[in-house]
Amino acid sequence: MFSIYKKELQSFFYTPFAYALTALFLLLFTYMISGKIADLNDHIAYFSYTEVFYNVIIYFIFLIPIMTMRTFSDERKFGTEVLLMTSPVSVLKIVLAKFFANVTVFLFMIAGTVMYPILTEHYGSVVYSQLICAYIGFFFWGTMFICIGMLISSFSENSIIAAIVGEMIMFGFLFLDDFSNSGFISQYPKLQSVLYSFAAQPRFAYFSAGFIRLSDIVFFVSSILVLLSWTYISIEKRRWKRG
Amino acid sequence: MITIENLTKYYGQHRAVNNISFTINDNEILGFLGPNGAGKSTTMNMITGYLPMSAGKVVINGVDITQDPVKAKRNIGYLPEIPPVYPDMKVKEYLSFCAGLKRVPFTKRKAEIERVMDLLKIKDVKGKLIRNLSKGYKQRVGFAQALLGNPKFLILDEPTVGLDPKQVIEVRNIIRDLKKQHSVIFSSHILSEVSEICDRIVIINKGDIRAIDTIENLESKLNAELVLHIKVKGNKTTAASIIELTKGIKEITAIDDEGSEIYSFTVNLEGDADQIRSELMSELLKNQVNILEIYTDKPNLEKVFIDLINSPSKKNNLQDLLDEMGPAENAGTASEDSPEEKEEN
Repeated sequence: MFSIYKKELQSFFYTPFAYALTALFLLLFTYMISGKIADLNDHIAYFSYTEVFYNVIIYFIFLIPIMTMRTFSDERKFGTEVLLMTSPVSVLKIVLAKFFANVTVFLFMIAGTVMYPILTEHYGSVVYSQLICAYIGFFFWGTMFICIGMLISSFSENSIIAAIVGEMIMFGFLFLDDFSNSGFISQYPKLQSVLYSFAAQPRFAYFSAGFIRLSDIVFFVSSILVLLSWTYISIEKRRWKRG
Repeated sequence: MITIENLTKYYGQHRAVNNISFTINDNEILGFLGPNGAGKSTTMNMITGYLPMSAGKVVINGVDITQDPVKAKRNIGYLPEIPPVYPDMKVKEYLSFCAGLKRVPFTKRKAEIERVMDLLKIKDVKGKLIRNLSKGYKQRVGFAQALLGNPKFLILDEPTVGLDPKQVIEVRNIIRDLKKQHSVIFSSHILSEVSEICDRIVIINKGDIRAIDTIENLESKLNAELVLHIKVKGNKTTAASIIELTKGIKEITAIDDEGSEIYSFTVNLEGDADQIRSELMSELLKNQVNILEIYTDKPNLEKVFIDLINSPSKKNNLQDLLDEMGPAENAGTASEDSPEEKEEN
């Protein structure tokens, strides 16, 4: 399992891939932060990091599928899936190794953002409790998107299609709460409550407001587990279906 | 030892592999021969646990591949039809990854990688990206991967396809050397290759086994039927009547007119070929028929192979006959292979 994890990391870090992705992410993040700083004046003497995180999440929709699109599609495209499947490693371990590798790259991406609170601390003060909560929420949200991306990648041999479909689904996820609160859905309260319970955005909002609620953690952890199991099943199923 | 019992594979309604059974003994090279699309790769994919079987059993060294896949796969090195290499990796990096995947102990990994690189002569490209390698080198890197960890059984799916003649000979020599320590299943659609290095061959076509035997046995079956080719210049009728009347000639199978009174005859022989040939030559010369060319075909496997794959498959048990009639009709029939199970796949 470790060797697959290592190989995945090599494919990210021995190529410009992870660096380009991180650079793009930091560029977007910096753009947000600099906008906030520019807004500061005599009347408004503070800005909220959690708001920045909240705004940045929309960029995930484009960045995370690019990161995860190759996870399983490329293995199939290059015929290396045979190598993994005929090695003494179980499919579950293959899925987990790839998941951890993607999460590692994601952590690398968000690690760069830590420099902004440090800089802010130098010139002013930072509310750490809220910031840490926002990071936890950010981590959960990103990890869930990684699982969605991996699942989509396990469906298709074409990584570009995997990325585009992943983006569409994540986009839907992001606006699920707005959609469920729309006038049309509000006519059906039952449907609304079902849809709303799948919305991840409000749960992230709690984290970024500085709340760690058990229900939110359960939501994220269970969706990650469900998506990972689904990925495992999809890979196994494809083997069976081919014959 | 690998035991394969009643292995069957359906792709939807299409039956790719039909109820085949054979064993691979220790330190043996088993040739797996058949035309393209015969079911060779499907069978190999099932033996290595990549594809699940529709019915049947594969037991590797006493371990059933479906019961305990991880343990069974430890004894297997597999080189699929397309070498499973990552284009973005360097050769040494790739082999190091594969060594980890095959659980080669960390301390032995370096020596093991050196060993396989030496064996396949890929040391000079170890720092190159795989995407920049030629087809032949990619094939050898894939082969090296299969040898890592010294697995007891090597399953090689057309390992010489796409190699130049020199590399083909090298790879054949490597396979021959591997016999000392490993058992090898080696698939090919090239007959001469298989007959050269394999101890036994399995001939397969359209998912059915047509023959399992040693090369010698298959050849001896053919010895009785020798073919003589003779090219003459002269009168066609005279030549034909002389050839037909010579003792030991069974029949004339073909006469080709090559223009300017040159005819070639293809003749089946019975008995001592040398004696028949000399008798025939003296008879023809006596009658002023000039012989331009005369030779007997060496007994080879080509004909057996073609005969075997073209022959209709033998229906040797009731289940086969029932299968022919279609799954719907045999759904209610009780037999050793449950038809319901097949229908599901």
